[in-house]
Amino acid sequence: MELAIETNSLTKRYGSLTAVNKLNLKVQRNTIHGFLGPNGAGKTTTIKILVGLLRPNEGTVKIFGQEVDGDQADARLNIGYMPELPKFPKHLEGSELLDIYGQMYGMTKQERKEQIPKLVELVGLKGRENDLIGKYSKGMQQRIGIAQALLNNPELIILDEPSLGLDPVGMVEVRELVKAIAKEGRTVFVSSHLLFEVEQVCTHVTIINRGEALVSDTLQNVSSKISGPVTLQVEVAKLSKAIINAVKKLPFVAEVAQSGNTLSIDLKTHDDVRPQVSQEITKVGGIIVSMNLQRQSLENVFMQLISKQQGDKA
Amino acid sequence: MDTATRRANRPRPSWINRFWAVVKYEMLWNIRKKKFIGLLIAAFALITVQFALPAMFEVGQNPDFAVTFSAGNLVFFLFAIVTVMNSISGEFESGTIVPLLTKPVSRTMVFLGKLFAAFIVIIVTYAVLFTYATIGGIFVYGPQENLHLVPLVLLGNIISTFIWVAIVLAIGSISKNSLLAALGALGLFISLTFAGSIIISFSDQPEILNYIPGSGASGTLNVAQRSQNITIQNITIPVNTIATGTDSIGTNLANYALYPSATVNVTRTDYISATPEHPPQVIQLYTESIGIIVLRSIAVAFVYIFVFLFVAWYAFKRAQILE
Repeated sequence: MELAIETNSLTKRYGSLTAVNKLNLKVQRNTIHGFLGPNGAGKTTTIKILVGLLRPNEGTVKIFGQEVDGDQADARLNIGYMPELPKFPKHLEGSELLDIYGQMYGMTKQERKEQIPKLVELVGLKGRENDLIGKYSKGMQQRIGIAQALLNNPELIILDEPSLGLDPVGMVEVRELVKAIAKEGRTVFVSSHLLFEVEQVCTHVTIINRGEALVSDTLQNVSSKISGPVTLQVEVAKLSKAIINAVKKLPFVAEVAQSGNTLSIDLKTHDDVRPQVSQEITKVGGIIVSMNLQRQSLENVFMQLISKQQGDKA
Repeated sequence: MDTATRRANRPRPSWINRFWAVVKYEMLWNIRKKKFIGLLIAAFALITVQFALPAMFEVGQNPDFAVTFSAGNLVFFLFAIVTVMNSISGEFESGTIVPLLTKPVSRTMVFLGKLFAAFIVIIVTYAVLFTYATIGGIFVYGPQENLHLVPLVLLGNIISTFIWVAIVLAIGSISKNSLLAALGALGLFISLTFAGSIIISFSDQPEILNYIPGSGASGTLNVAQRSQNITIQNITIPVNTIATGTDSIGTNLANYALYPSATVNVTRTDYISATPEHPPQVIQLYTESIGIIVLRSIAVAFVYIFVFLFVAWYAFKRAQILE
């Protein structure tokens, strides 16, 4: 599968501080890839290397298979980038900014005339597009930042903390927008320190800390790989020995605990085995009231990984 | 349509379109700067005073006023500062450099676009000021001759201004700090002006001044009296007095066009030997042709412009965007 982003041993040092350390990042195209890490983990530095703002000390970057080395303007034709807390020239009006940036992307006047009003509406700036950016609130600057990142219908959209500065409604809108973009067959690489945001939006995730990638996979696999045993909570109408024995006989069951009419079943697998469990209980005459598969949340995984890395380094 | 096909179908935008977008971006910034508008008003006021004062003292006719008019070294310096002091460093300070440099425009294109925008802004502003000066000259000094040479004077003034444009850009690009760019250039301007005044008053070798930005040496153009000397309150200002440095490229280009074979007697005024009984004497130092003076001052100006612009471009090209 063609990769949208591929880095190989990417390293960036600021004096004695290694901000990014031998990072091997692979972002498959047509995915929403979350880039998760605490503040100072190296997320923004990595992104700045990807878009040509910083030069790495070592390693390579490929965007859609093409090696990018420093200031290559044409490599950015297919990238839309929204910086963290973006700043735009205060003397320009919102629509003027988009028009000039559109011209930089080589959009014709007609294309700009069609695209800009759509984007302005999409990001909720309709009616304010002719105001000077100097008069925009932080949230509005964030919105125009998203608009300019989508201006050229880029194949790869890189969003650095897109929800920063937005109100709760704005945050939900951004999440929905990201999902909609990905549905069009585009790749979204989104950096965030908001775990729930990544969990709700992303299909893939890379967790980074101290410049090193701790894990990188699909969101589900990341949770499964790192987490401990998955527990299945089953509440039945009337618990009997026959039900408990039937469940214990299942090959993927590690342990069964009982509390009232609820069974806590520790599983040896990370697969979804609810149909098999349901079938066995029904066979012995049990009536299932509820069934709940308890996986570790991304937050737990994240905290585990960070603590483990800090423990290893200590 | 898959990603690869979409990418393949997308035409590569032309260089000129992208370049023009940068020029537009920068020009809007320049034009909307309040300080630039303020400076324009101040320049108009200065020129108006320049006309109003002589008019009050009933000076004579000067048909060469328009072709010998120069904006003056302070105006060159101030316009350069105001136009480009935050062209590059301001982008770093405000953080706007980040979205700009992540568009499909190379840093060289951004640099050249900003430079070209500064050129357009300065040329348009000077054109307006020179038109005003020419019309004012006709009112105050009577009918003007050789008006076709005024664009040449304007061109020379732009070259003089661009020395300071290059210096300010270089300091701004290296320091990424607009205040430092302005203060650094101001320090250099004051130092060179003082050094020039001292050398021209006390040294017998003022030719060194021809190789640094500024007014250079001074002398008298050896041509027949071309118009009446300007006399204000019994003080006579000879119209044939010229300076030979980079600040006078404009007027010297006009002088060369009018008197191509003329020579210039370079002089200095001896203040050291002066006493209350013996006023300062003018000492003649050497003679050289107006052609050499013009060529040398243009060459010196271009050397400074290219060197400082190269420094500015290189610093910008290599800059790491940490903002």
